[in-house]
Amino acid sequence: MRNSWLIALRELKERFSNGTFLLMMVLGPLFLLLMLFFLFKSGDEGKKSLKVLISDPAGLMDSKIIASEEGKISYYFIGDYLEIEEFRDGKAYQNFDALIEVNEKVLMNKKSFVFYRENPSTDVKMQLKFQLERRVEEVMIENFTNLSVDQFRQIKQPLNVDFRNVYDPKNQASDMEGYVGLVFGFLIVLFVLLFGMSILRSTAKEKSNRIVEVILASVKPYQLMLGKITGIGLAALIQIFVWTFFITIGLIVFRQYIFPDMFNPSNWEGIQVSADVQQQLMESNSAERYNQFVELIYERINFGFMFIHFLFFFIAAYYFYGAFFSIIGAISGTESDGQQFVLPIIIVLGLAVYFGYLAIVVPDSNLVKYASLIPFTSPVVIMVKLAQGLPIGSYYFVILSLIILIISTVVFLWLAGKIYKNGILQFGQRAKIKNIFQGLKS
Amino acid sequence: MLEIIDVSKSFNRKLALDAVSLHVGKGEIYGLLGPNGAGKTTLIRIINQIIDADRGTLRFDGKLMSSEHLRYIGYLPEERGLYKSMGVLEQLLFLAQLRGLSKANARKNANFWLEKLEIKDWSKKRIEELSKGMAQKVQFIAAIVHEPDLLILDEPLSGFDPLNVELILNELKTLKSQGKTIIFSTHNMRSVEDICDRAALIHHSKKIAEDSVWNLRNSQKNGEYSIRFSGNMIAFANALWTDFEMIDKKDLGDNRFLAVVKMRGNNQINDLLKALMGQIHIEVVEERIPTMQQVFMNLIGGKEAQIA
Repeated sequence: MRNSWLIALRELKERFSNGTFLLMMVLGPLFLLLMLFFLFKSGDEGKKSLKVLISDPAGLMDSKIIASEEGKISYYFIGDYLEIEEFRDGKAYQNFDALIEVNEKVLMNKKSFVFYRENPSTDVKMQLKFQLERRVEEVMIENFTNLSVDQFRQIKQPLNVDFRNVYDPKNQASDMEGYVGLVFGFLIVLFVLLFGMSILRSTAKEKSNRIVEVILASVKPYQLMLGKITGIGLAALIQIFVWTFFITIGLIVFRQYIFPDMFNPSNWEGIQVSADVQQQLMESNSAERYNQFVELIYERINFGFMFIHFLFFFIAAYYFYGAFFSIIGAISGTESDGQQFVLPIIIVLGLAVYFGYLAIVVPDSNLVKYASLIPFTSPVVIMVKLAQGLPIGSYYFVILSLIILIISTVVFLWLAGKIYKNGILQFGQRAKIKNIFQGLKS
Repeated sequence: MLEIIDVSKSFNRKLALDAVSLHVGKGEIYGLLGPNGAGKTTLIRIINQIIDADRGTLRFDGKLMSSEHLRYIGYLPEERGLYKSMGVLEQLLFLAQLRGLSKANARKNANFWLEKLEIKDWSKKRIEELSKGMAQKVQFIAAIVHEPDLLILDEPLSGFDPLNVELILNELKTLKSQGKTIIFSTHNMRSVEDICDRAALIHHSKKIAEDSVWNLRNSQKNGEYSIRFSGNMIAFANALWTDFEMIDKKDLGDNRFLAVVKMRGNNQINDLLKALMGQIHIEVVEERIPTMQQVFMNLIGGKEAQIA
């Protein structure tokens, strides 16, 4: 055990003396934060306050429109047609940011154009659309019905048909959360692949520079293999913790200092309508999805819960796949020789991500159920299921999946140890499948 | 110190060792000789427990050998290998700790040897920055840094210049004087004569000889004498007549010659001397003891020994 630990520490030191590893440790989370930044920024882009001129030659709107209290948009009316060119170039209109065309046909074709000088932010666009639509709606009620505005809006409410799983009546499982689980699962796959390749390279390198013979005179092949997997795994874990630390700090900075507005739910309270109407109005609008994403990141995902499970499943999956990478490294003649055998592992890891995706789109299928128990795919599928929220009383399924994964890992490490022992001293030959079977027989 | 009893090993039905038994005494330098592919490295790997024997027993200090004994063994493999990107001292500390030394003792021993082999100034350098000879020294230190009782050296002199060969051979003699046991596998037969007490020859997976180096050489002598004389070569040849056979001769100039003569029948050295007396002036007469090179050649190929 002491020797395995010494080997693990040496591997860890080697990783930390590697510039690329250190660079990835810092650049990895920065890259992810940058992606998030641009994602958030895309919703926050554009002009945040707008001076809007409404061209209403038919006088439909009677120079009335309710602007938001926060004064992000101020409206001005002109009772005449205004050509775009004139608006664009005319000196009198240079102070206006946008022109809205409301002609007499608007009541029939329900079509209006907003010509802006600078693309407004999603938030401002949302408010403008909403305020204009409400005003036109009021005009239509007045012209075509005898109903009061409130009556009309009551009738206008569509029947909200919500499909829900009988095992999840509160609809806790959702696509958005599922995708976050898939991201966790993808990170498992990414780290397993990146650090699995390190196991392969390190094993093949020790073999090709013959240090392995010196090492094996002090430790058993199984101890060497385990030490190597553990050391590289520790490097992976440290990297994960550093990534998590930086990403957490980044998200806090985003919330507090960079995008304080976008994360404030009161943003939407300026619109004096019920939540249902707001929901309905905003449906099919990307801003709504964006807002959901923000809420998802900051409110709905229990990161502590996810992170603990992520660690357990990552460690088990890493050792599980690490056994395969060790085998390839041990039977390889050179570092590059083993690359050909990596493809099947990449395919299997790709399948694991695909099954994770299936767990989102067809969460209750038998295929997904099996995939959540099969050790090759379970780490990703379980992360999706955990993010979606497990129905009450079904946590045992996660434990069962983890136990199967751990038992499979022990079995495969044992088998890998046998092949490793046989392969590691076979110098100067290319990797062949038959080496694996010879190792198993011996 | 080490007993190897009836050890056999096969790889994919190919016999690599066939019931080999050796006895390595405490404090001796034991030569493990044999042509390439004879099975020496396999035997060394079995002693180091890198691979398991199919049959046979190994005893270390009278006890059945186990992984516990590995810390008392030092190993320098024929195919040298070090972590190229690792520092010299760091590497020695790692390997010494793997052999059971504490970090403090590992550091103390490593520094001692680095100083002794004059590479202390390079202790912080990476292996890839060292010359081949320098790296060989580091590899040698790696084998002895944990103060093993049994040192197994597979071709320890390859890659060293003559100065460093001398240095290493002297170190081995010092280690022997400290009571360490050394198994020395080499193709350099002169070094076997120089430092080995006993030796075994392995050929085609089997041990074909094991004895003290002197006995091995002695066992291969075949009644040949080299005679340095001055006088007439024809008179010398006539004196030999049919009782002795001249198998080689060398003209040293100024009527001085070196001849190699073999006895025929029951003739002894005294008979030869009697026959030559009065015919020539004898300067030196010496019985020819085969070199280890000749012993090696005789035993594995039956080749005739050549004149030195």
